[in-house]
Amino acid sequence: MSNERAEFADFFRTGWEPCLRAVLTVVGSQQLAEDQVAEAFVRAWASWRKVRSHPAPRAWVVRTALNAGASWWRQRSRELPLAGHDLTAPGDPGEGLDASLLAALRHLSPRQREVIALRIFLDLDTDVIARQLGIEAGTVRMHLSRGVAALRRELTSTNDHGG
Amino acid sequence: MNANDSMSDTDVLNAARDSLSGMPVASAPDVEMIMARGRARRHRRRLVPGVTGTLAVAAGAALAVATLAPASHRAAPPAGRQHAAHLAAWTVTELADGNISVTIRELKDPAGLQGALRADGVPASVTFAGQLNPACRSYPGGTIPWPPQPPTPLLRQVFPKPYGVLPPSADPSPGWSQAPGHGSPPPATPAPGRTVIVIARSALPGHAGVQIAATHSAGWIGPVRVVYASPQCTSS
Repeated sequence: MSNERAEFADFFRTGWEPCLRAVLTVVGSQQLAEDQVAEAFVRAWASWRKVRSHPAPRAWVVRTALNAGASWWRQRSRELPLAGHDLTAPGDPGEGLDASLLAALRHLSPRQREVIALRIFLDLDTDVIARQLGIEAGTVRMHLSRGVAALRRELTSTNDHGG
Repeated sequence: MNANDSMSDTDVLNAARDSLSGMPVASAPDVEMIMARGRARRHRRRLVPGVTGTLAVAAGAALAVATLAPASHRAAPPAGRQHAAHLAAWTVTELADGNISVTIRELKDPAGLQGALRADGVPASVTFAGQLNPACRSYPGGTIPWPPQPPTPLLRQVFPKPYGVLPPSADPSPGWSQAPGHGSPPPATPAPGRTVIVIARSALPGHAGVQIAATHSAGWIGPVRVVYASPQCTSS
């Protein structure tokens, strides 16, 4: 058991940041991303023997985090906000996020953002991403291509206007 | 022609990664806290096969904290309970009306209790040192008078009364304190020497959570303080 604990602790220590950045790229909110990734790691430890043998454990965390977010929204949709509390509004961008990049990401579909996040932060190839998302590799390539094209346009536009 | 027009897909993805990687993000939470929550989740799943997330969406909830019972003396489950997770030091139970009761037998494993509550959809920060988390004190409703003066909208039912004043063992027939207008009858009288605190989850809209603090006092478990907590406090 102690080996499993050490193994998970190392997985958590090294995986927290890339998973958080991947989820943040998709959801666009620091608070939400932190909540969801923490919950996903909780579930990873609860099912560690399964997760540790997963072909892409970090991708498992990211998918679980995003699914947890959906549950979170379903839960909160029946509740009223607490007046005066100090939360970041859902969907607010995290501080420090590059404005032009944020603008580009906002125009992408969630699936496109997810594909890009899995590629750039978890370094997954098309086939692995396809398996993780349960879609065809060709669909992944399409999302990636369209997402990259949108990002390129934004970068181009930024340079044109920024001088 | 703009220079970016000639960027390859790899160049674009690298540029996106570099930009997003420069964004400050929160450092990782304490791994022990994560593991405690995971352990609680695993434990509950083992005890209640097939129930893995339904508690999180209950419309209203409360928690009960029972103290001073010997570790071997477990509280009888409330008649209306739906799900329960048991550990040696404490018990978390969801009642039929959506409330959640927590029975603490010993002031041990606060992280585990915290994890169990979070797994049941109650963001919580639990300390057994008796001090509330200072990071939570600026939160609306995050402070309460001392000595505690329950019941409140958050803290709906308390056993025994007078709360936090006398050791539970001092009163041979302790009763319940209830918030004004609280319609539900008190849960069954706990075994002697126990303290029960009931918190309404319906009083926790949005991201709000609870922080729970308890300490030993003169050989008995002192008042258990329960106040609102921000997500920063509960890491939820």
